[in-house]
Amino acid sequence: MHKKEIKNLELTVYSEKLDNGLEIYIVPKDNVNNTYATYTTRYGGIHNDFIPANEKEMVTVPKGIAHFLEHKMFEQENGEDVFSFFSERGSDANANTNPRKTTYLFSGPNAFYENLEFLLSYVETPYFTDENVEKEKGIIEQEIKMYQDKPYSRMYNGILYNLFHNYPMKYPTIGTIESVNSITKEDLYKCYNTFYHPSNMFLVITGNVDPEKVIELVKKHEAKRNLKENNKIVLKEYDEPRDVANASEIISMDVTVPKTAIAYKFYIKDINMRKDKVYSAILNTLDLKLGTTSLFCEKLRNEGLITGSIDITGINADDFVIAVIDAETKEPEKVIKLIKEELKHIEIEEHELERRKRTGISDLVLVSDNIFRINNMLVNNIIVKGEIEYDPIGSIRETTIKEVEEVLKNIDFKNYTIFTVIPDKG
Amino acid sequence: MEYIKIDKQAYKIHFIKTDKFKKVKIRINFKEKTTKEKVVYRNMLSLVLLEATKKFNTRRLLDIECENLYNIGVGAGTSNSGNYHLLRFNTTFLNEKYTEKGMMEESFKFFLEFIFNPNVIDGKFESQTFNNAKNILKEDIESYADNPGRFAFSRIYEIMCPNSVIKYRSTGYIEDLEKVTEENLYEYYKELLTNNEIDIFIIGNIDVKQMEKIIADNFNIDSIKHEQLAHIVKQDDFRTEPRIIKENKNINQSILILGSKLKDITEFERKYVLVLYNYILGGSADSKLFKEVREKNSLCYSISSTHSGIANLEFISAGIDKENYDKAVELIKAEIKNMEDGNFTEEDINQAKITFLASLKEIEDTANGIINIYEAHEYLDYDLLEERAKEIEKVTKEDIINVSKKMYLDTIYLLEGDKKDA
Repeated sequence: MHKKEIKNLELTVYSEKLDNGLEIYIVPKDNVNNTYATYTTRYGGIHNDFIPANEKEMVTVPKGIAHFLEHKMFEQENGEDVFSFFSERGSDANANTNPRKTTYLFSGPNAFYENLEFLLSYVETPYFTDENVEKEKGIIEQEIKMYQDKPYSRMYNGILYNLFHNYPMKYPTIGTIESVNSITKEDLYKCYNTFYHPSNMFLVITGNVDPEKVIELVKKHEAKRNLKENNKIVLKEYDEPRDVANASEIISMDVTVPKTAIAYKFYIKDINMRKDKVYSAILNTLDLKLGTTSLFCEKLRNEGLITGSIDITGINADDFVIAVIDAETKEPEKVIKLIKEELKHIEIEEHELERRKRTGISDLVLVSDNIFRINNMLVNNIIVKGEIEYDPIGSIRETTIKEVEEVLKNIDFKNYTIFTVIPDKG
Repeated sequence: MEYIKIDKQAYKIHFIKTDKFKKVKIRINFKEKTTKEKVVYRNMLSLVLLEATKKFNTRRLLDIECENLYNIGVGAGTSNSGNYHLLRFNTTFLNEKYTEKGMMEESFKFFLEFIFNPNVIDGKFESQTFNNAKNILKEDIESYADNPGRFAFSRIYEIMCPNSVIKYRSTGYIEDLEKVTEENLYEYYKELLTNNEIDIFIIGNIDVKQMEKIIADNFNIDSIKHEQLAHIVKQDDFRTEPRIIKENKNINQSILILGSKLKDITEFERKYVLVLYNYILGGSADSKLFKEVREKNSLCYSISSTHSGIANLEFISAGIDKENYDKAVELIKAEIKNMEDGNFTEEDINQAKITFLASLKEIEDTANGIINIYEAHEYLDYDLLEERAKEIEKVTKEDIINVSKKMYLDTIYLLEGDKKDA
């Protein structure tokens, strides 16, 4: 068992990698009642082209299968209801899938070790039948329809579709009604056997626990599976052009105020700097130039062009960083034009960067106060950076204005797509 | 954890001293009887006071100052609380152990500036500040229907309780907003400071004496208030047969809500029995409704049941395909009937109790959760955590069956999706 401090946050990470490849990370916090456990596979909505376990050829599976699989993992051969197991012990259970990972989770103040053993067991025992696969399709169809009624969800999916040519983030994690309907039991087993191997998974536990006891329990449980550490899974590599697939789209929906967004596709592979630093530099700059502390935002509000704020969201997409800038406005074209002009010449000043650093550091302290947020931070670290960041405050502090300038010099604002949702007439 | 309540007549302070958190959280509530027009004024204040202060007279300058103060969070919001309306201001900032000495006092004073030092010139709110706030609220009111779930719930409140204050939409209404001016809003602001009941909740590792002094130095309010009204809204016009109302909206998924009125509920039922009833019926992925309607029949993605103790109402809501309306209603009604007939086990009840007890422990882990407990204790006389744990054990199967018989199904509402292209 390794023990390492996350500097300046009063957190200690205990970790261990088992013989079968499973990684375990534990952050104990004894002044809370609750404990939160997440069991994650590095497998999500974008992993649809790969070489399956024990095979040699690359295959393509229907889109939306990682999320479908997540739903189906709750099915147990003995008919046991997973949710009942946890709620009988006063715990909450759930799962979620995003483009890069699928996570199974529970939290609760009671029966932690029993719950943990059950979490491991149910995620490690798939049970798919033609019948239970068929039944799930109706539920997921309703879930897809629910998202189709949400303007921001439509906007997000539309932007990603228009940004990419080949990169699989082009398609929503949930899939489409057609792709979901084509999923079979055999597809599910193929994906399960490939991506749910312990070498591709990790456990993160935060809260009121004893690290030694956790590791002992997991070791004992995993030993029974008799699995050896696997080689890395071969995923298809995508040749993604730097330009966007489609420069603009307008849809109409049952909304009152139009919503508009401009999404930039920044190619960052050639910038000689840690990817997360590049990402932060871009997002911090956009926030300073367009966010609520900017003169630009103040001007738009005073002119009545926007009422709230301009929101900025970043997405990591391997060789690219995507920045989505969106606003609600009655004059979408004008607002987009002004944003584009504003971003033609950008510079940031030392004191502005200092202010962003202060904000970043205080956010980290708040994260360290909450077992759910600590857990999410670690899972994110592992998925996005491949490892845990043990000095996140230091990393913020050491950022210099030179680094930010270096990033700004090397990104190109030419590649973007515009997406607008306008009210429908009916 | 130590709780100290100080009644200053003009306002009450609730200190909750604990070293559990690295932050300090403060909530200041202004409370008064609801009327339709006032909802808009109070929403306007929740926005205009956050737009600017005398010292930092634009939102931009305020936001910069927030970041300089180690990203202090300041917010405001409104909500109905039965017969009352609450305007809440809240702030979160780091304990100065994690920033620099003196920051607690500076942060608290900065927060109070929002409430007591507004951007007012010549007896009225400054125009730009006022207009920015008005634009936000106008858009919020106009786009109320954009969120189908929120819209459907507001419709069923309007249909079920046409003569009660609880039907008012949380944002207020556009015709009332048109009447608000820089002058009359400022008049109302002064009235609010004098007439509203005020409660201040502070949680964190704080120096009570220091905090009390900051409050005394900054709260120039000395009017004495007397609580007159109960929060709880009583229902009447109990129907024997529910009415069915279907409305259209251009959405993919239809929203079904079954609303019932509660008659002659005891305090014990309101606080404990209804919680267990709903937990068993539709409170989780382990509930009767979830298993029957979603898992067995694949009719929906989401389904749940909830109650509003304060409004004496019970709701079951689900997102469905409109073709499945009849089948869904039939299945839901059968589950309601099952509860009345006692078709649930002691095991179900025990499980619900375990969940309730676990949630009490989880509440203790969050600063907001702890404040909510003391707020409900103050306003609704709800028990504190320890008593809650004892009381819930007393609930019997008989109690749950009895409460289910005090529910009168009033309205079956369908917000029908009529989108063709999906």
